[in-house]
Amino acid sequence: MTMMNANDPVGGTGSSHHKNPPSFPGYRIFGAIAALILLVLLAIQFFELFDNDNQTIPEVRWGTPPISDVQTGLSGVQTDEILRERATLQAERQIYGPSPENDRTFQVGSETQFLTEEIEDPSPFLTRSWASPPDGETAMVRGTDRVEGVSSLPYVGAEVFERPFARDWRLGMADIATHLGALAILGFAFLLAAVLALRGRVPIVAGKSGSKVKRFGWFERMTHWMTSVSFLALALTGIVIAYGDSLILPFGDDFLGQAGWLATWGHMMFFPPFALGILLMFVMWVKHNLPSKLDVTWLKQGGGMFSDELHPSARKFNAGQKLIFWSVILGGGLLVLTGIGLMFPFFWTGIDGMAWTMLIHAIIAVLMIAVILGHIYIGSIGMQGAFWAMWNGDVDRNWAAEHHDLWLNEIDSKKGPAE
Amino acid sequence: MARVKFLCDTDRCIECNACSTSCKNEHEVPWGMVRRRVVTINDGQPGEKSIAISCMHCTDAPCVAVCPTSTLYQTDIGVVLHDKDNCIGCGYCFYACPFGAPQFPRATLFGSRGIMDKCTYCAGGPEENGSEAEFKKYGRNRIAEGKLPICAEVCSTRALLAGDGEVIGEIYRERVLSRGFGSGAWGWKTAYYPEEA
Repeated sequence: MTMMNANDPVGGTGSSHHKNPPSFPGYRIFGAIAALILLVLLAIQFFELFDNDNQTIPEVRWGTPPISDVQTGLSGVQTDEILRERATLQAERQIYGPSPENDRTFQVGSETQFLTEEIEDPSPFLTRSWASPPDGETAMVRGTDRVEGVSSLPYVGAEVFERPFARDWRLGMADIATHLGALAILGFAFLLAAVLALRGRVPIVAGKSGSKVKRFGWFERMTHWMTSVSFLALALTGIVIAYGDSLILPFGDDFLGQAGWLATWGHMMFFPPFALGILLMFVMWVKHNLPSKLDVTWLKQGGGMFSDELHPSARKFNAGQKLIFWSVILGGGLLVLTGIGLMFPFFWTGIDGMAWTMLIHAIIAVLMIAVILGHIYIGSIGMQGAFWAMWNGDVDRNWAAEHHDLWLNEIDSKKGPAE
Repeated sequence: MARVKFLCDTDRCIECNACSTSCKNEHEVPWGMVRRRVVTINDGQPGEKSIAISCMHCTDAPCVAVCPTSTLYQTDIGVVLHDKDNCIGCGYCFYACPFGAPQFPRATLFGSRGIMDKCTYCAGGPEENGSEAEFKKYGRNRIAEGKLPICAEVCSTRALLAGDGEVIGEIYRERVLSRGFGSGAWGWKTAYYPEEA
């Protein structure tokens, strides 16, 4: 209460302004804590972007078993010598002699000689030393370009020899979609938490009236929850696939493999209700979501988000809701289309098309998660009274008057004022 | 430590497909998948060239970097291996591979992919080297026996070379010098020196 009094302009404005609106201090504290945690996560994610650890480094080493007690782990010396010497067998006879087999130091048979073990502390040293050609080799290395021919083998993509774009795809997936996607999701969540902490929950300024107005029918609500539950499931399974390497790997390789399988199948199982929901919502709500001049005013005033007194006029859906609607229809629609494409590999397009489809799917998906976070926020903890519109379909009359005045007038003039 | 590579001399490859065939046989690769294949460029025209390609076991391998379940891993001789128990068949490695190496069986509903299979440089997988379980999943482990991949060792024109990069690079260079021509080590820049401008 005290916080709100400080913000309250002296005298108030609206005639319906009978008492001070609630300030929800608990929500603000929650918002502040969440903002702090998210800030730390953002900082970690930002560090991840520049710490250059996404290089592939060897994790397993080859070697022969130790021959004395002094030695720990495998010895790579003999492996190295045998592999080098074996390779010289392929050389021209005029260089390595007419019968190279006679001069070999090692004889190899069909028994296993080398073992493998995990490298205890993998470092990027080997990768770096491999990455630059030794002196004089550059001249014999052919340049990079796309090379395609024909192949007598009947497999998808068998005719492509080299496709340098794949290296860029790796950047798009591992850097842009994954890292920047995490930044977008965490950053947006941080903004929302900060808004909750600084601005507080949007109250019903006039207080609850006690009388209800029907806002959404059962079919609208059913469609909404079908779509949202399937979206949450798709988002969570998608996050397992996209971020499992950071979030689940610490619990073990096998656990990640199992979670990955579940996520892959779950991701496909929740697609039909999501696609159906998108279609139904488009048919149900598109006529309420066409842009109008009201939206310009609404957006200019920031939706009245930053003041309890300001309530820009709106019909059934305000400009913010229209933005959510169109992101869900367009973003969700694109996700469904690219998703179907990915479920049937090489049915519609070749390897390059599939690669782009996957990249678009991943980038739209992380952005959609961020957008829907905003939608969940304002529909639950962000605004008093908003949640019930979608839960039991009824909203408080004063809530409707403040946020959707023109819509309230419309239904009042159709049915007569609610009793 | 040796850094093993593949090098295919396009001036020698005669598209006999012995490498693909012996590979399929050595590892008992299932139907619908091929670990090594031969591509012919300018087929039937002057300047026709053939080249055998499989997984090149890249430096800073992109497939390992994009794999969401840490199925793929690299060893200290450069060989990129995979763990079939963790693969979820997402196909990321296929999109990130410049050489189309990962293969997927069409095993499940919805046309989705089964578990990935790819060239192991005849070096098996995470199971115990030379074990029956390893053979069933990944094929023969010739590296553990001190041998090189069957595709290169079987090549009748010695077009396909395998083994330590310096050794086979030297063999190729000597060859080019003595015969007087050569079109270079194909794919090496993309596979082994991705950062060289």
